[in-house]
Amino acid sequence: MVIDSLAGIGRFGVFSWSVATRVVTPYWEIDETARHTWEVASRCAMPVVAVVFPFGMVMALQGLSIFDLFGAQRLLSSLVSVAVFRELSPVLASTLVAAQGGSAFAAELGAMRISEELDATEIMAIDSLRTHVVPRFMAAVIAAPALNVIGCLAGITGGYVTAVWVKGQPSATYWDNLWELTHPADIYGGTFKALVFGVLIGLIACYQGYHATGGAAGVGKAVNDTVVISITTFIIVNYFLTSAMFGAITN
Amino acid sequence: MVTALARIGDFGLFCVRVGRSTFRHRPPIARSIEEAYHIGFRSLPILLVISAFVGTNLALQGYNAFVPLGGQRLVGMFIALAGVRELAPIMVASMVAAKAGTEMASQIAVMRIQEQIDALEVMAIDPHWYLVVPRFVGICLVLPALTMISIFTLVLASYLVSVYQLGLNGPEFIQLASATTRPVDLWYCVLKAFAFGIVICLVSCYYGFTTRPGPSGVGRATNAAVVVSAVVCSLLNYVMSEILFG
Amino acid sequence: MTVREPPDPIIRMVDLHKRFGELVVLDGVTFGIPRGLTTVLLGPSGTGKSVLIKHIVGLLEPDSGEVWVDDVRVDTASVRQQYAVRKRFGMMFQNGALFDNLTAGENVEFPLRYHTSHNAAKRRKIAEEKLALVELPEVYDRPTSALSGGQRKRVSLARAIVLEPDVVLFDEPNSGLDPLTSSTVDALISRMKDQLGITFVVITHDIVQALAIGDWIGMLSGGELVEYGPREDFLKSESDVVRGFLARNHTV
Repeated sequence: MVIDSLAGIGRFGVFSWSVATRVVTPYWEIDETARHTWEVASRCAMPVVAVVFPFGMVMALQGLSIFDLFGAQRLLSSLVSVAVFRELSPVLASTLVAAQGGSAFAAELGAMRISEELDATEIMAIDSLRTHVVPRFMAAVIAAPALNVIGCLAGITGGYVTAVWVKGQPSATYWDNLWELTHPADIYGGTFKALVFGVLIGLIACYQGYHATGGAAGVGKAVNDTVVISITTFIIVNYFLTSAMFGAITN
Repeated sequence: MVTALARIGDFGLFCVRVGRSTFRHRPPIARSIEEAYHIGFRSLPILLVISAFVGTNLALQGYNAFVPLGGQRLVGMFIALAGVRELAPIMVASMVAAKAGTEMASQIAVMRIQEQIDALEVMAIDPHWYLVVPRFVGICLVLPALTMISIFTLVLASYLVSVYQLGLNGPEFIQLASATTRPVDLWYCVLKAFAFGIVICLVSCYYGFTTRPGPSGVGRATNAAVVVSAVVCSLLNYVMSEILFG
Repeated sequence: MTVREPPDPIIRMVDLHKRFGELVVLDGVTFGIPRGLTTVLLGPSGTGKSVLIKHIVGLLEPDSGEVWVDDVRVDTASVRQQYAVRKRFGMMFQNGALFDNLTAGENVEFPLRYHTSHNAAKRRKIAEEKLALVELPEVYDRPTSALSGGQRKRVSLARAIVLEPDVVLFDEPNSGLDPLTSSTVDALISRMKDQLGITFVVITHDIVQALAIGDWIGMLSGGELVEYGPREDFLKSESDVVRGFLARNHTV
């Protein structure tokens, strides 16, 4: 059990290293990368909006019940912006990249592994990591931060809808206090988090798909493991990133 | 657009069939308990990890947000409102969708492409009754329990961070958190968990039943199941919050 | 093109049409399946043989046309009626369609668990009898993953006959099997027909098998039944498609 999981971590390390060396050396499959990036980004964009938007609304809903106590309703938008920029948007956007993009990568690569397409590629003396894995990995790395920006906009808008339309707060107050507690730097920080999560998702998804075994059921398992493992991993990493990046601002 | 509407209609039909199967025959009790055990037991470890780390982050966020007001002490209250009422149920739903939902989708999809579902039909056994009803009952049994466990873990983790990392007053944290959480809030969480469980189970099983052939079909079905359940659950979450807490 | 009418049909299809999107799979098929005999439907891959057989038990609904099993019209029947009809059927699937989480024997006794009130010991006894009938007496406790392709099919057959049905459907019984195993399966089917005296419907692309086991033989091509009748008549067919199929086989 322990030895198995150690061996698994070792294999994952070797896999990550092989991917990394191919990312930094030519040649690059630019067209493939662009195609995968576009596919992930376009297929995740709506779900990201559909998930982050209601979270912004919920944040405003609960935030109001706290700020009502202080009579500090004007600070509502700053609570929403702190939460959305630093936490909600990067984490939720990445969750969806894992659920949509990562699982699609695992499914595609897994199906190619099972139908021996990857073996066929290797036999033609073509590096399957370079042609099939690196473009997908890069797509996750590019799409996650990009989707984070969309998520930020959606979350802030969601908060606005609850605060102004549902709860009748003045619209000007919402926009004026947006940057009370946050800086544009927070958006960059959140985007950097999303980038890190994108790297994790790309590696985990491609690893699971590339090493799938056991027929159609094996592909299902690879997809399943991808979603679960990548979400768990980046929630843990998230805590350390938050402590390091934002914990320092106030302490 | 037309295909999307057709898909929704098809899904509605599927739900009606499952509903009919649930009440027409006696539910398979032993298999439902087995499913509940599987769903609960397999989702539990990752749920504990995620609840703990979401709790820690929530404490950090609450602290940062209230510093300018001089209200750092209110972190306990923030945890109760944001963590217990909102995040715990939806977080449990996301994890169960990611773990148990994807498993349902891929298992049923594999059964579909290997003609095992056709085999059930030929044997005159209703596949909705045999495959969906136990999962449905199982997830309804186990989700409220998972939600309570998640709430406990989340509060515990945020307590530890508040007291040991942020240096807040422990007893005050507990007092504020418990004063803000009414017993009825916990019932609302259970209600939300039920609703999410029903959505996840129906969506995942539906995508499994309607998979395309081949390994890539199984992958795609699993993929669609988790995304659609996540989106539907978070929309539902806002609607329910507005009704229950708004 | 001659389609003969059997004397005492148990199943009848009338002007069956089915298409999937643009693809026309069945284009007006009318014929009857004789009671107590083995009927083989031949045709190259992708000619809608599987689609046709799935219509018999209501797994697929026709776009237009009728499917009758004795005096029940299956395609418009209620779910309850369809299930009643299905209890008279067994089906051996192309790749077995065994449930992976059960052992071979549990697969065989599966229908008994839901359709009879036998206790566990009785069920096991019946399942072992049926497994012996398909010449796999010792696999009861084996997981399905440990079975070979031919064994999976035979377990699937044992499961199909466990409720003592009136009709057994075979979907490509020897696809993916080597020639030797194929002929064993053919012999098994012939022998079982003699022992059980029930109606068999077999779809296959294998002309050797068709001639070995078929009492009545039909040929599907382009969504239509181009030739159908007793074996002797079928061999004398003047249809180009049938002659071509027969000739190709003899050169092998």
